[in-house]
Amino acid sequence: MRYLKQLSCLLAVWGGAAYAQETLTPAQKLERTGEPLRARVVLARAAELNPRSVGALRAYAEFLDSYNDPARREAYQKLLDALGPEESAERAEVARRLALVDLVAGDREAALRGLQIYRDAGGRIEEEVERALGRPVAGGSPATSETIEIPGALRSFERMAALSGDLGLSELLPALARNLVTSGYQAARNTEGLEPTEYLKLLSRYISQARELAQMAGPDQVIRISTCESSETGQLIKILGYRLRNGCGDDAVLETVNASRAFLTTDSGFPLAELEEALHKNQPFQYEFRPAKVPVLFGPAYWVSGEKNKQAADFLDVLLADPALARLYLAFIEKLVSKDDGWLASYFDALARLDGRPLEYFTEPARMRRFYLAVRGRVTSPGPARPVFRSNAELMLLTSRLQIGTDGVPRIPGGLEPWKQLFVNHPQGKYDGKLTRAANSWKAPDDLVEALFALCRKPVENEPLKIFLAISEVDRNRKIPLRPATITRLINEHRVYGTQYALLSDAPSLSDETILAMLDTMAGLSKIKDHGQRSDTIGMFQALVSVWQIFCRQGQILESQADRPLKSLTDLFAAVKNDRELFDAGRSGVRTLLSATGSSEGVSRQDRMLELLAGNAAPADQETYRQAVSELASLFELQRLVSLKTLFDLADHLESVSRGEKLNVAMANRLAARISEIRLPRTTLTSVEKNSFSFGYWTEKHVEEQRKLNLRQAVEKAAGNPEKLKETRGLLAPILRDTLVGFSYIYYAPPGAQIIRTNPLFVRSHDFLGVLAAVRTWRETELFGTGWPSNGGGRLLGSLTGLAYALAEAEQNFLVPTQRQALIWGDLVPQIILSAKVPRWWQVSAVEQHWLALHLRLGEELLAGAALEPKARERILEILGRQMTPARRFRIATLLAAGQARAAIELSTPSELYLLARGHLDAAWRPEGLAQAVCRGPVEREIRRLAQAEPSRANPARISEAFGSPHPTLANSYRPELLNLPTFPTLMGYSSRVLAESWESNNLYWATLADELYLPPAQLNLLVPQWTQKVVERIFATHLEDWPAVLRSLRWIGDDYRQKARRQLLDEVKAAALN
Amino acid sequence: MLLAGGLLAALAATGAVAGALWAQQPSGQAPVFRVKVDLVVLSVSVTSRQGRYVTGLKPGDFRVLEDGIAQKIAFFGEGSQAPVTVEEGRAAAGAEGSGSPGAAGVNLASDSFVGTNVFILFDTSNFMYRGFVYAEDAIADFLRGLDRADSIAIYTFSRNLSRATPPTRDRMLALRGLRQSVAGDDTALYNALLLTLRDAAQMPGRKVVIVFSNGPDNASMLAPDDVRAVAEDEGIPIYVISTSEVNKDPISGNVFRRITARTGGRAYFAKTWQRQTEAFQAIREELGHVYTVSYYPQPNPNEGWRSITVELTGDAAKKYRIRTRAGYRPKL
Repeated sequence: MRYLKQLSCLLAVWGGAAYAQETLTPAQKLERTGEPLRARVVLARAAELNPRSVGALRAYAEFLDSYNDPARREAYQKLLDALGPEESAERAEVARRLALVDLVAGDREAALRGLQIYRDAGGRIEEEVERALGRPVAGGSPATSETIEIPGALRSFERMAALSGDLGLSELLPALARNLVTSGYQAARNTEGLEPTEYLKLLSRYISQARELAQMAGPDQVIRISTCESSETGQLIKILGYRLRNGCGDDAVLETVNASRAFLTTDSGFPLAELEEALHKNQPFQYEFRPAKVPVLFGPAYWVSGEKNKQAADFLDVLLADPALARLYLAFIEKLVSKDDGWLASYFDALARLDGRPLEYFTEPARMRRFYLAVRGRVTSPGPARPVFRSNAELMLLTSRLQIGTDGVPRIPGGLEPWKQLFVNHPQGKYDGKLTRAANSWKAPDDLVEALFALCRKPVENEPLKIFLAISEVDRNRKIPLRPATITRLINEHRVYGTQYALLSDAPSLSDETILAMLDTMAGLSKIKDHGQRSDTIGMFQALVSVWQIFCRQGQILESQADRPLKSLTDLFAAVKNDRELFDAGRSGVRTLLSATGSSEGVSRQDRMLELLAGNAAPADQETYRQAVSELASLFELQRLVSLKTLFDLADHLESVSRGEKLNVAMANRLAARISEIRLPRTTLTSVEKNSFSFGYWTEKHVEEQRKLNLRQAVEKAAGNPEKLKETRGLLAPILRDTLVGFSYIYYAPPGAQIIRTNPLFVRSHDFLGVLAAVRTWRETELFGTGWPSNGGGRLLGSLTGLAYALAEAEQNFLVPTQRQALIWGDLVPQIILSAKVPRWWQVSAVEQHWLALHLRLGEELLAGAALEPKARERILEILGRQMTPARRFRIATLLAAGQARAAIELSTPSELYLLARGHLDAAWRPEGLAQAVCRGPVEREIRRLAQAEPSRANPARISEAFGSPHPTLANSYRPELLNLPTFPTLMGYSSRVLAESWESNNLYWATLADELYLPPAQLNLLVPQWTQKVVERIFATHLEDWPAVLRSLRWIGDDYRQKARRQLLDEVKAAALN
Repeated sequence: MLLAGGLLAALAATGAVAGALWAQQPSGQAPVFRVKVDLVVLSVSVTSRQGRYVTGLKPGDFRVLEDGIAQKIAFFGEGSQAPVTVEEGRAAAGAEGSGSPGAAGVNLASDSFVGTNVFILFDTSNFMYRGFVYAEDAIADFLRGLDRADSIAIYTFSRNLSRATPPTRDRMLALRGLRQSVAGDDTALYNALLLTLRDAAQMPGRKVVIVFSNGPDNASMLAPDDVRAVAEDEGIPIYVISTSEVNKDPISGNVFRRITARTGGRAYFAKTWQRQTEAFQAIREELGHVYTVSYYPQPNPNEGWRSITVELTGDAAKKYRIRTRAGYRPKL
């Protein structure tokens, strides 16, 4: 049998290869030139013209297979039909492939039929597989003995308990327990105990009301009203909290009489409008009021065993009344927590997410014990298990991001000495006396790591760890490590400039000299005394550096050449002393950046800047590219920014005026007209309102001065004095600052961009200085002034380093949830938007896209293969287990054993599927059964073929670069990459932000979808932000760790688009076939 | 002109007859003219000194000035009736109900131009928690009493907007949307108002937004006056029913008064359910009596803010008071 399998595998390859010489070549050519759709047409026509040609049919079926085209099942069936009984080996191979494809599609019956053909052709199937596939999918209510009844409609209960309607029955009570733990109780005002929150009070009242309604519904569980006048009507509306105004008849209207009850009625979604209409028309009303049976872990008796009257105790009541029980139900392992306040559990939680060299390093027994003792300390309380959210954030960040060299030793930037100095001389302030003493005798990297572990247990901010992680990221991708002196300087100045280090992480080729010069310049600019000038100078400098960062990221400034333009910018601004020099520095900065991108001198700088920001498109993508440029131009216009051309022309003209030329009044007026378009909504505010604008003085002044600018008057005033006339161009500096800042704003504009479209002062209001005494100049960009009546609209504050995130954060609440009761997931959504806006796909070819998509398909196949091959299952689960919690792995194992491959696939994230495929391909071993399953598949063959044919594009590093996402917290960088980490939980101090950064599935999924629909990667630039907006609007999560809700939304939006696009695709295919 | 009509009608159907660009291509070799035209639609309420609505006025009773430039009224309507073409100061006979495009290509008898598109923006933030159900009752009463020709959209908001019921003439649907409202958290009134205005702007015909709120906003990114500017530019009156006491939150009160007055709407401060019901009645009455006056602006070099003045002619000018939006910014 083993030989039969190998033979069929070879036949499959040879069969395809033989035919390739005749027909595949043109199809392959089309595919390689980015025209897979036409390749499909060519192959389809060949298959149609040669209905008995196994080669033609196979080529077509396998092509479809590699694009996950739904027509592949039919194509394989035709291929199977074309094979005669004498070709049993090939028949077996095709039948098995068809079964696999059917299983991936979720058609278990068809898969079973395929397997039977496979067996008839000589193949072997495990009995348990056949049995599993033959069994119907278990669904509906679980065993009664392990369930409880929740009164009334389940959706009503979910609404009142703030549970997503997308949850499965088995997920309901754990989710409820979580909500009870996080939102059910608060510290009592007068005692040391806990008291229920408004959420829990309402939920309890709702359950009580639902029980009254259930009683009224009676044994058949239907609430019935025969007529308006019936006695039940009064009873029902009394329970609901309403009364009939005007009595029965045409004027019958329901009116609130008991606000508490009425609120429960409406908030729980009781069909009040329907009841009202029935009463109005004097018609019968009926409403099914069946309880939902919900499974309870270990059964309800287990949990109510402590109650005095077990018979009477209702599990739901007990759970709602006892916060400790809710915690326990939420899977807190009491003994593990009580032993050391949860430090070991917390330590395990961090280590369980590791793989490869870091795992080996941290789990070396002696080291594991040493670091555990360091993090636990002598006094274990307060432990990490006490708060609602996990407080081991820093432990997780340290273990996840510590770089371990090939020699198994941690990489310490600059060596141990600078870090020793940090602890011993503590330039930033004393951290820990004991650690300071110990630092004097540090000899090895483990000593530093131990100290960092020890600091992880402190509830205060762990500054040394933050410094260490930030500088490690700067050093991570560098070919030449930073010098110890540079590291020392970066350590010492982290408190002020640390946020700016993300810029250094993004460009690993920067020299030590440029980094030091940048620190010098930033320090120099911070000392400018005049607030207005300081704000403009720092704003313009940051704006140019931000554009430099964009050009570097987009490959318009080559990595090897990134150093020189940044050094030039740094030098230009170090020398600025007045507004005229500032304007000149800004102008030279623009020239420097354009020159670094290879732009020719004669081009319009404004147009060129917008073109570069839009990206570098291939000729075939020009239409998509034009849309991108046009969108940027439109946003620029809406902010009423002044173009570089207008500013530079005017500056040149002022230079001529200083040489005696007459002022071109029309030119000056053009600028004046543009500036006059800047509306100040606050002009209509009353004095009381104006008094509430105590902050934002400098931004107000910045805008006001522009509005007052009268260039003509300034020139007339300086008439006859060439030097003074030259100075007049300094008046343009604040305007140039806004234009340059505006480039970054429009580049990172989130989908919808409602703020940019509505508030024309948004860019101009950026506050580079900060509020009152709190200097924010070099800090992370943040939102300020949200919520009226604080000011004339929210604005951004701080540096431009986190602009992309801050814009997404500001814009998120303009997205409209499509699920009733859902709200936008505040801490997660900005990062999801960021992942859609920062990566661009102009430089990505169809090869990368297809290669990635093949991986996700292979991942699906491997899962389906594991359902068919029990022997292979453990190995597959072992790879998956590196990314999953044991509970999810167990769930997937159960589904695979039951032959439910599609359900297992749905449960896996795209990033897990990708890593499963990579793990499979990278593994040195091959499970016997599985190897047979995949070697026949065109998917793995195509992955390997592309890797050989296109090594620079079809490789994991390139996929990471092309389809990764930025990780400002985890990697201190905005450069897109795949970190391939398991999905993080919500962490204390970071909320869902780290979770969102570890969520890398979206772009992988979108690229695969585009490949499936034969869309060129360039279209992702327009589609991904749109798709992402829809995903965000459809997320219906129950709690802050409910990332499966993101996965559900992602798949739902993808399926919806796929369905619509495929209809259009079919028309295109038909049209192409006719031509 | 007929050639232009069809295209304009199509644009009108999607873009509220604003910013239309059309080509005039008569037969023969005549050149193609391209003209940018914004049809400015005004909702004008006329009241007597006693505050009673004045009905039965004709186009010739109105004089419209934009930046002081006299305008020619193109369409005119009263209450929920479809606007009709105006010829020489008189409503053109036969245009209404004919189903044919009017002189400028706007299909006057189109269903979209009959009645008002009423967008109700209901504050479900936790501020409103206590009075939630009473507010629902008041809104439900308002819905039941609206003209059958009016379409209704129920939007709710707290931190985010929720489109509970998209515009519909089906009262049952609207009531269902209202009764299914769910209490939320923070109040981002001006964010939600902007999104509502953007949706309303997509609707052809007359539209108003009625905000039911108690303020104060604590989560919006936008300033009230930026949002008000959008309403002005789109010609959408904003009405506000505030359940908070004006004395306790004077800043919100001032803003409500300002944004409603400038857009041609009105602010009501109604703490009790009874007062809320009265406020809704007043709005309903106004919607039934408001005049729709539209014009294509005369050449005007001003690309910024254009002020609008509507006056009554003859004796009416002395007797009655007029309320409409203060102006607009032409689309770029």
